[in-house]
Amino acid sequence: MTGPRRYVGERVRRNEDARLLTGRALFVDDVRLEGMLHVAFLRSQHAHARVKGVDVAAARRRPGVVAVYTAGDLGDFWRPGPLLVPPPPIPGLLFNSCTQVPLAKDKVRHAGEPLAMVVAESRYVAEDALEDMTVDVEPLPAVVDLEAALAPGAPLVHEHLPSNVAAHVVQRKGDYERARSGAHAVITRRLRYDRGAAAAIENRAVVAQWDPRAEELTVWDTTQAPIPIRNGLAGLLGLLESQVRVVAPFVGGGFGPKIMMFYPEELLVPWAAMRLGRPVKWSEDRQENFYATTQERGQIHDAEIALARDGRILGVRDRFLHDAGAYDPYGLTVPINSQCTLLGPYDIANYDSEFTAVFTNKTIVTPVRGAGRQHGVFVIERLLDYAARQLGLDRVEIRRRNLLRPEQFPHNHEILFQDSAPLVYDSGNYEPALDEALRIVDYERFVREEQPRLRAAGRHVGIGVVCYVEGTGIGPYEGARVTVEPSGRVRVATGVGTQGQGHFTVFAQIVADVLGVDVEQVHVITGDTREFHWGTGTFASRGAVVAGSACHAAAVAVREKILDLASHLLEAPKHDLELADGSVGVRGAPDSAVGLGEIARRANPLRGAVRPGTEPGLEATAYFGPERGSTANGVHAAIVEVDPETALVEVTRYVVVHDSGRVLNPLLVDGQIHGGVAHGIGNAFYEQLVYDENGQLLNASFMDYLLPTATDVPPVETAHRETPSPLNPLGVKGVGEAGAIPAGAAFAQAVEDALAGSGLEITEIPLSPNRLFELIAEAGAGARGR
Amino acid sequence: MIVEGTFTFQGPREAVWDLLQNPDVLVKALPGAKRLVRSGEDRYEGVMRVGVGPVTAAEFAVAVAVRDKVPPQRYALDVDSKGAVGFTRGTARVELEALADGRTRLKYTAELQVGGKIAGLGQRLLDQAAKLMTRQGLEALNQELRTRLARGSAG
Repeated sequence: MTGPRRYVGERVRRNEDARLLTGRALFVDDVRLEGMLHVAFLRSQHAHARVKGVDVAAARRRPGVVAVYTAGDLGDFWRPGPLLVPPPPIPGLLFNSCTQVPLAKDKVRHAGEPLAMVVAESRYVAEDALEDMTVDVEPLPAVVDLEAALAPGAPLVHEHLPSNVAAHVVQRKGDYERARSGAHAVITRRLRYDRGAAAAIENRAVVAQWDPRAEELTVWDTTQAPIPIRNGLAGLLGLLESQVRVVAPFVGGGFGPKIMMFYPEELLVPWAAMRLGRPVKWSEDRQENFYATTQERGQIHDAEIALARDGRILGVRDRFLHDAGAYDPYGLTVPINSQCTLLGPYDIANYDSEFTAVFTNKTIVTPVRGAGRQHGVFVIERLLDYAARQLGLDRVEIRRRNLLRPEQFPHNHEILFQDSAPLVYDSGNYEPALDEALRIVDYERFVREEQPRLRAAGRHVGIGVVCYVEGTGIGPYEGARVTVEPSGRVRVATGVGTQGQGHFTVFAQIVADVLGVDVEQVHVITGDTREFHWGTGTFASRGAVVAGSACHAAAVAVREKILDLASHLLEAPKHDLELADGSVGVRGAPDSAVGLGEIARRANPLRGAVRPGTEPGLEATAYFGPERGSTANGVHAAIVEVDPETALVEVTRYVVVHDSGRVLNPLLVDGQIHGGVAHGIGNAFYEQLVYDENGQLLNASFMDYLLPTATDVPPVETAHRETPSPLNPLGVKGVGEAGAIPAGAAFAQAVEDALAGSGLEITEIPLSPNRLFELIAEAGAGARGR
Repeated sequence: MIVEGTFTFQGPREAVWDLLQNPDVLVKALPGAKRLVRSGEDRYEGVMRVGVGPVTAAEFAVAVAVRDKVPPQRYALDVDSKGAVGFTRGTARVELEALADGRTRLKYTAELQVGGKIAGLGQRLLDQAAKLMTRQGLEALNQELRTRLARGSAG
């Protein structure tokens, strides 16, 4: 006997794809209800202005317009949104909380901030009504540049504050000054990382329906966090939490901005539906998305690394500015990720990091895939590149000499992570990952043979090899309910929302293995608060780690119930029983097997007596909360070819070796990495949100904001390593952001290498062919000047 | 956005000056101008219909204030326009130089802030569009000038 089939670890094809590929999956925009009204928002054209009045009288008179609301019409419902993530308890931390408002009242603080809401019989009418409105504003000088924002006398984004400082945080370990004084070399650089968009395929959308007979509000929302939205809406609308049902059906990409909660539209659509007694719908258009959906982060780092003669890192000092945008509802998650992730996979004994988060008249910054981690990786990896050059070391060698060794785990970095827990790496084995990446990309041969040969032929090819860690799988908790139905099929309900990750497959695999059923017999439900209403959401690469562990725990509890009942039924001790092929039976006696559906029926009898102390049915709910996040790691190696005349870069090979602990489904992990690398290449060479000095976004469309297309993203060669996490029963770590985080650093190193000898230094991301062309020209001019 | 350039009128400076101060002439000459009236001493109000690239033409309410006027040599304009697809604000400076051959060289420099949809979607085309519109307007004014001068000499 071969034993029951196992799914965990297998390349199981996705359970959800049949629905997605045949167009039967529900997205919020598919929700069409009788009598449904449509919403359009009047948005500020100015980045910074005092609002003297919004004249909506003509809009209200337009036929087909049902209602128009400005801030003044919201009454008590108008209030600043919640602070979603209070800062960690870091000593001396300064944080000024200024959260977004539903509709701007006295002042607008970024272009695109909503000023009024139109509800009409159709979106066409609603949009036309926007043109009937006039806004009386007094424009104010905009706060755009991070350093200018902090200069004395700068205009203030929030006038009740003494400056544009949103936060100031210092975290230190060891004694950097002392380390520096004994250093053989000290290298400093200014490094910049600019803004980008998440650019999910599906924009945001909200539909709300109030049922006065059931006294229930149903909200379909593209959120990554349906349960907190339900709880928050109930509080704001004066309803019981159980009166509100939030459904986050299939969502076409989250990437972070959809974890930002209580967007103005998300509050106002349900409010209007209750007030008007009719279903109300709003779907964000792409242009609105560029202004109104939260964005990736701009940062300027002044960083310094102190090294011993052999390339060992003695310490790192970093001072950086972080662009928070106009409001800071998401707390300090992003800059703290940057601060913590800078330490990377390296043994850095002395670290002195200080950042200032700055309010600007730009769209709010919240996590977007990587959530600031890429900035830390970019800084440390660039510093190591310059250090290697200065010390005459190979780029791989300097990294190898500084990697944490297996015996150093768990490794305490002595500073606090975004989840308020100490930054402790749970487990890791870093050097073999580096070796594997070098083997796959054939580093030695490339550097010794191929590159010199191609260079001799006049071609500019280069390689980049960078290491990274990814803090994943943070708490607080998630839950799941597993039910075996009388049909023998299994239902799993969990609170996290799904945006394409493969939750319907991976949770099914976990449960199928515990219960010994076919993976296709496990039906997963996510993101519907009526099905499960405890949990926090999908973010920080935590779905598989935290919700996956909860599914596992619930399945184990159901398995116990099955064994209890079957033991009684089959008159055999539990340890002699086996679950396989959807049945339970006595090991070695296949004829004894009873289907799980039959057990489920017996567990829920219509007559007769149940055994005292038992619960009906085969169902259990369980929760999982990790003590802290688990730390994944990996290596990216890229080979590029640069055309110095056009500054076009072709990525010819891209290798990712990743260790996210135990791999639940290599197909899904590969998919996460491929998507992440595409995101990362976009970050590196295509995607940049360009603001002018007045805070106007200059490329608010896909004509001008470039996304990498299929031809710009190379095939990604992946390899998985498995160093289990001790922090959860599955041994897993998250993988959602791993592809994106180090891509900028790998790209910069490879392009510099391709143009080695030109004096080119890449100290900023994103690049573009245009910007790279300028940098090549500057380097050429510098080289000629020397 | 900075829009600057020079243009040579086929006529004397005083005649050019008069033309530039006449809203009835300007409304005909400026591309997209639908209305332009004097709203006070050195103040004008009007409506223009402008589109750039993918932004469909839409109406802008325009307010212009003339200042630093030194006839017939130079003046400055404060421009404030707003509409559903965006806004422009800023200052334009105009200088007129009498050339020896009886023609007039106009030098203009405008520093404009552009916002809203027209900035976000049309940015790439904005400079070209502004240059084109300015050129078309000046050509039309030159045409009007020549017509007037011809009419004057004929009468």
